[in-house]
Amino acid sequence: MFEAKGLMVFYENMLALNNVSLACAENQIIGVFGANSAGKSTLMYTLSGIMLDIQKKEEMAGGERITIRGEIFFNGANIMGISPAHRAKSGIVLCPERRRIFPESTVLENLRIGGYLAKASQAKDTLDYVFNIFPALKRLSKRLGGFLSGGEQQMLAIGRSLMAQPKLLLLDEPLLGLSPVIQYLLAKSIKSIRDERGASIIVSEQYARPIMPIIDYGYILENGAAVVEGTNLELMNNPDVKSAYFGS
Amino acid sequence: MTVDNKDRRLERIDRGIKVRSDGVYAISSWLEMSYLVAPRLIFILGLLAAPVLLLPVPYWQKVLSIICMYSLLAISFDFLANYVGLVSLGGGFYIGIGAYAAALLNMKFGLPPIVTIPAATVIGAIICTVVFLPCLPLRGVYFAIVSLMFPLLAARIIEALDIFGGTDGIVGVDGFSSPWIEQYVLILAVLIAVFFLRRMITEDVGLVFSGVKDNDQAVKASGINITRYKALGIFIASSLGCFGGAVLSHIYMWAGLSQFALDFSIIPIAATVIGGGGTLIGPVIGCLILVPVSELLRDFGTLRIAVYAIILTLFIVYKSEGIMVFASRKYEQFERWVSI
Repeated sequence: MFEAKGLMVFYENMLALNNVSLACAENQIIGVFGANSAGKSTLMYTLSGIMLDIQKKEEMAGGERITIRGEIFFNGANIMGISPAHRAKSGIVLCPERRRIFPESTVLENLRIGGYLAKASQAKDTLDYVFNIFPALKRLSKRLGGFLSGGEQQMLAIGRSLMAQPKLLLLDEPLLGLSPVIQYLLAKSIKSIRDERGASIIVSEQYARPIMPIIDYGYILENGAAVVEGTNLELMNNPDVKSAYFGS
Repeated sequence: MTVDNKDRRLERIDRGIKVRSDGVYAISSWLEMSYLVAPRLIFILGLLAAPVLLLPVPYWQKVLSIICMYSLLAISFDFLANYVGLVSLGGGFYIGIGAYAAALLNMKFGLPPIVTIPAATVIGAIICTVVFLPCLPLRGVYFAIVSLMFPLLAARIIEALDIFGGTDGIVGVDGFSSPWIEQYVLILAVLIAVFFLRRMITEDVGLVFSGVKDNDQAVKASGINITRYKALGIFIASSLGCFGGAVLSHIYMWAGLSQFALDFSIIPIAATVIGGGGTLIGPVIGCLILVPVSELLRDFGTLRIAVYAIILTLFIVYKSEGIMVFASRKYEQFERWVSI
């Protein structure tokens, strides 16, 4: 359903993504693991098209020149040159790193902004679903987004991207800065989102421990290149992955 | 070898001579030294020679003084906006305070320009700093709005209370003894301001300034009083403007309400955008382009504002990095296609 081939991204002369290819079938959870500066966020920005936006902004400000090469296929069509807004419309929705929720809007407003593209009945349905998997949000629905705790903000960010009716949900570091208990809870919710909403999910994360069990297939990024790939069992039994991500 | 457009990219690399002249090796040969010195020397000598070159056209000599006066304001705007993080639209206020201070010192106490200009610079900067002091916790657009109010406020107060000559202004201020002094005072001030500020922003105090711009809470957490630094920034910036205003009142032999005009607040911003923000020399280049253009368009009356607006819009949309950023990149780096 979704396939990226030979993605290369240069920040000026620095190679941030080196020939990365990945594929995601219908109803799969794909994991992308890597340390800081491995290229996870660059990959997510490239897949969601935000990179085109960053490229334009840098060019206007006379900053770094960003070069993007490669192909991304979504339901058979090459979407490489398509703007992030159109990609979101066609169902590729990014839940950005560090949440980026709207701090001056209430929880409910945040969710409704996310549901801007959806039909009214769909939006209502999804809203109920979001409150169902994240009951904390229902209780806080009148609270301003900026006053939520880190975990609540992350739930809100995921909920907001769900409101956009994703066929492919891109989660960029959803566990960043959360306590282990909440990390496991969120990992469970991510799995149930896949099971109940029928969305494919690509999740990038440095904390492999909570995420690894829920993925179908994973990629390990290192210095911008996908060095290891495999199913979750293959990855968990790989000695290099074990020592780097599970500390044993 | 022909490479398909898809398999190659345009690479930017520092020129060899730029890398060689970066460190202490700059003094290894005349070529490297001239690479560093030439652009600065062209700028300095060009400005110093301009009054002589413009000798046959006295009208343009006057324009040069105006360019320098706007340059001072543009440098101070660029410094405040890009190094202290305060977007100040108070250019008219600085000019007006400086002009009135110099005119009053000259008329009431009979002091000559050589005393009134430095005194007006310091007194004016102190007045500006004190007036801005309550607004310093503001950031971004709020500070911009408040700073825009001050020139309007000052002009209306003088008009309403009929002080300092009211709407007529202060007439009969001493002029300069020769037109050369009038031009070189301003040109030297521009050069000193540019090179002083360029040096200062790399010193410790300059680093604190950019820290205040980037993240003032982190600076506070380091135990630094940011209000003091912002006040210092305002003092430096407004002293440039007050100096310009003081010289202006001696050039026109008059200080009046039009020196609080909005032009002094707006044109420096336009010049900074065109020249390239954050470069300090860029604003001067912007003034060297904008002010003559506006003089050439004087015949068209108010239509020149339209031309101005179009130039500015085109620059922001198509070349928002500014001339100076673009030029220094071309000077320091070259581009070539590489296959990937």
